[in-house]
Amino acid sequence: MKILLRLFVAVVLTFVFVCPTLASRIEISSPGQQAIPLALNSILPITAAHAEVAAEFNRVLEYDLELSGLFRFIDPASFLSDARRPGLQRSDVNFPQWRVLGTELLIKGGYQLSGDQLTVDMRLYDVTSQRLLTGRRYVGQRSDVRKIAHTFADQVLEQLTGESGPFATKVAYISEQTGNKELYLMDIDGHGAVRLTDHRSIVLNPDFSSRSKELIFTSYRQENPDLFRKEVYTGQESRLSFQLGLNISGRYSPDGRQIALTLSKDGNAELYLMGTNGTLLKRLTNHYAIDVDPSWSPDGNRIAFVSDRLGNPHIFIVDIHTREVRRLTYDGRYNATPAWNPKNERIVFSRMEDGTFNLFTINVDGTEERQITFGPASKEHPRWSPDGRFLVYSHDDGRGKTLWMMRADGSGARRIAAAGDRASHPAWSGRW
Amino acid sequence: MKSLSVVRFLVIGFAFTLLAVGCAKQPVVEETPVPAQPRQEVVVEQPVRAVQETSITDTTVATTAEEAAAEARRAAASGLQRIHFEFDRSDLTEKAKGILVNNAGLLRAAPQVNILIEGHTDERGSDEYNLALGERRAIAARNFLASLGVAADRLRIISYGEEMPMALERNEQAWEKNRRAEFKISR
Repeated sequence: MKILLRLFVAVVLTFVFVCPTLASRIEISSPGQQAIPLALNSILPITAAHAEVAAEFNRVLEYDLELSGLFRFIDPASFLSDARRPGLQRSDVNFPQWRVLGTELLIKGGYQLSGDQLTVDMRLYDVTSQRLLTGRRYVGQRSDVRKIAHTFADQVLEQLTGESGPFATKVAYISEQTGNKELYLMDIDGHGAVRLTDHRSIVLNPDFSSRSKELIFTSYRQENPDLFRKEVYTGQESRLSFQLGLNISGRYSPDGRQIALTLSKDGNAELYLMGTNGTLLKRLTNHYAIDVDPSWSPDGNRIAFVSDRLGNPHIFIVDIHTREVRRLTYDGRYNATPAWNPKNERIVFSRMEDGTFNLFTINVDGTEERQITFGPASKEHPRWSPDGRFLVYSHDDGRGKTLWMMRADGSGARRIAAAGDRASHPAWSGRW
Repeated sequence: MKSLSVVRFLVIGFAFTLLAVGCAKQPVVEETPVPAQPRQEVVVEQPVRAVQETSITDTTVATTAEEAAAEARRAAASGLQRIHFEFDRSDLTEKAKGILVNNAGLLRAAPQVNILIEGHTDERGSDEYNLALGERRAIAARNFLASLGVAADRLRIISYGEEMPMALERNEQAWEKNRRAEFKISR
């Protein structure tokens, strides 16, 4: 596996035209303060123009870069003549023209559509030093245009921050479009949604393996809340856990080799560890209270979960080796749906106050609790992007649940409209 | 089962008595005293045939037992009532216990009937927590029925959490309706 990974990294590196030292390494968690001026030029036709291809590419790239919160966009209306010149080489770019606009970064690109084959050439320049930061050529089909834009946005973030963006990943969610709750999969901007299940029952609470293209979820298909596993592209599906009672809250460990879940086979909802083949490995909790909603720490040694063992639902953390349980939240009367940031020691959770859920983050040691959403709509089921910089969650304003996305600090919240009404329980995939 | 046949006989007998009484009363009605007699003849003949029909054989006993079971099943199906819970609670209210006593009576009278107890919650709270809470409610109902002499192996449970609300409005009355355990007859 490691060798494969190294090989993959090596291959990726060879695709980068130039390997410059990083212009800057920036945290994207407090975007307002550090927004870098960026001139995002529309991609230009290398041969014949296909306006709709260029427009779609530009829309997607701008959406992603805006979501990152990293940039302050220079108004395209102020761009000078170089914006219309297709030359992409460093020697072709008229840097003084860009510099005069006050921008520090420039994205220029060109595309070519021959038959169904789409080629896109992209460059990210540091305007001040006139250096190429990253250059990429993508070859695909006409229908890959959005994927190419997402992939380049990921590359821009990788180049500037050392951590790739999550824009080319997927989000799974539950939708009631057909009248039943079924599992769906979409791009992070809601585009290209496909239905994955046809259970005509109740499908709940999906989770992605971070290592392979598969999902687990709970379904009442066989008249009990059982845990199912599904391979995304082969469509192969199996019933993984079907103990008497609840088989819910399934969550893959960070290494993808174990699943934490809640079973009630012994008469009470407890946390267990299970192998990916369905064999029970270990019971984690032993308490007459309800124990649900596990979320793994990035190192795979601890699990945050919800328990009402002290009366009201609160967040606790259990060490999976010693089974020692520690209380995390003290404020509020109803805390639920914890999600551990995959990159750091911060946990997001939802707290119900006056019948409405809002999202909070807290350090694993219980310090620095911070409310990140406000207002009368309920926000629940937060899940981190694989880079830990963004959150996707369910939003319920009383007229139905919809999916929303925002940055880790709660800024930039937006509805993913394409996911439609009556959508909830998002889960973010790993990098595919 | 014999007593049932006797009951049946008595019922039929009583019916005819009523008929006879009805007819006997007719002369009191002054308008039409004339057709009273032929009707009385008919009434006299019928009880004899009725007695012959209700003669007890093995097959009639079996049919009656089946009918009785079916009747008890129908009574349970129409008589089993749902119970309701307080917010975030799974302990039984006094009212719920009263309903369960009645449900237990119906179930004891219908020993062939197995039931599925569904636990439900209102929409407030986390979905996963509510699945566990709904299960607790179903278990509370099951345990109470079992304590009243209903065999536990006739009582299967399932939790739907907040997935199947009865009322879709968002107010206290709707939530109260949705926090419930239901009793469905299973095969």
